[in-house]
Amino acid sequence: MNITLKCFATLSRFTPPDADAYPIAEGDTVANVVDRLGIPLDELKLVFVNGNHSELTVTLADADRVGLFPAVGGG
Amino acid sequence: MPANDSNASVQLEGRIRELAQPTRLADGRELPVLSFYFVQDLARSLGRSRSPQTVRPRGQSLAQVERAALALGVCPERYLRNFDTYSLDEQLRLLSSSVAMVGLGGLGGYVLELLARAGVGNIRAADGDEFVASNLNRQLHATRRSLGGYKAAAAAARLKQVNPAISFEPVASFLDEAGMGSFVAGSDLCLDALGGLKDRPALLRQAGNAGIPLVTAAVAGQSGFVATVLPGERGPADFFGAGEGAEDTLGTPAPAVAAAASLMAGEALNILCGREPKLAGKMLVFDLGQMSFETVSF
Repeated sequence: MNITLKCFATLSRFTPPDADAYPIAEGDTVANVVDRLGIPLDELKLVFVNGNHSELTVTLADADRVGLFPAVGGG
Repeated sequence: MPANDSNASVQLEGRIRELAQPTRLADGRELPVLSFYFVQDLARSLGRSRSPQTVRPRGQSLAQVERAALALGVCPERYLRNFDTYSLDEQLRLLSSSVAMVGLGGLGGYVLELLARAGVGNIRAADGDEFVASNLNRQLHATRRSLGGYKAAAAAARLKQVNPAISFEPVASFLDEAGMGSFVAGSDLCLDALGGLKDRPALLRQAGNAGIPLVTAAVAGQSGFVATVLPGERGPADFFGAGEGAEDTLGTPAPAVAAAASLMAGEALNILCGREPKLAGKMLVFDLGQMSFETVSF
């Protein structure tokens, strides 16, 4: 199973080389993936799965698109 | 309306009808247009003491002429190229609408410019900040000359040059939450053009209390987002907290700031025209490094 990962702004430094087809295991949650990428939880403010706001506890499925956001406030 | 006012407005309508020129559009349609100079002339002729040709007409009189023309189905020349993205009815609606924007820096400078050119009739904008050299990379009103001056004052000067028919109320102070409450009250729409995260939740609450939509945006590096928050709904500021933002590391380069400002203005104008907000409960996220745009839902 693979997912598509998009890490925005400061989180882009955690983007894996295989972000377009990032392998996950059966039962993996967003939290598992975030942990594997080494993203500190206090830097992660918003999670979107397939374009919808989502919790860390959500179990991922094949071909899911995951977007990870830090706090962004510049103007 | 008193008899002499009503008389004057009938006279104005008559003059507009006389002076309007039928103009053939590229697609073959014909649109009556009132030239820029006739708008000025008619505005000068309004009011108690008629102003000589050399005097600049008052903004209020310009707005009165433009509104009267639009109500007659005549397009003031300055808005000709808004047509018919904005119909004449919608253009009149824009001229009669009011927005409250907080922040006149990177986002706010561009948003103000776009709303003024579009013809949003009443704009109040608050920023207590003064220009510093590090604003020069992106802020429209930051120039060598304006450094050290109030952003609100530079915005007012620019607005007078761009579209003097706009009633502009600059406030050169930082608003606390109570101040935001009275600042946004009575407007049709609130624009969050703040920099940093600290004040955004308060503005979101106060727009909600006033019962008006909030259009918000922020940028970090090449990434940014734009969102519309309807009263009582959650917005990005509810998730981001008041700590550091990614912009503290990545900066705020001009293309991302101007892109976010354009998207804000586009959404704001749709809302002010009476159309459905396209980003209500959503967030348009862009990354100019990847040239990617995606709209996500809360």
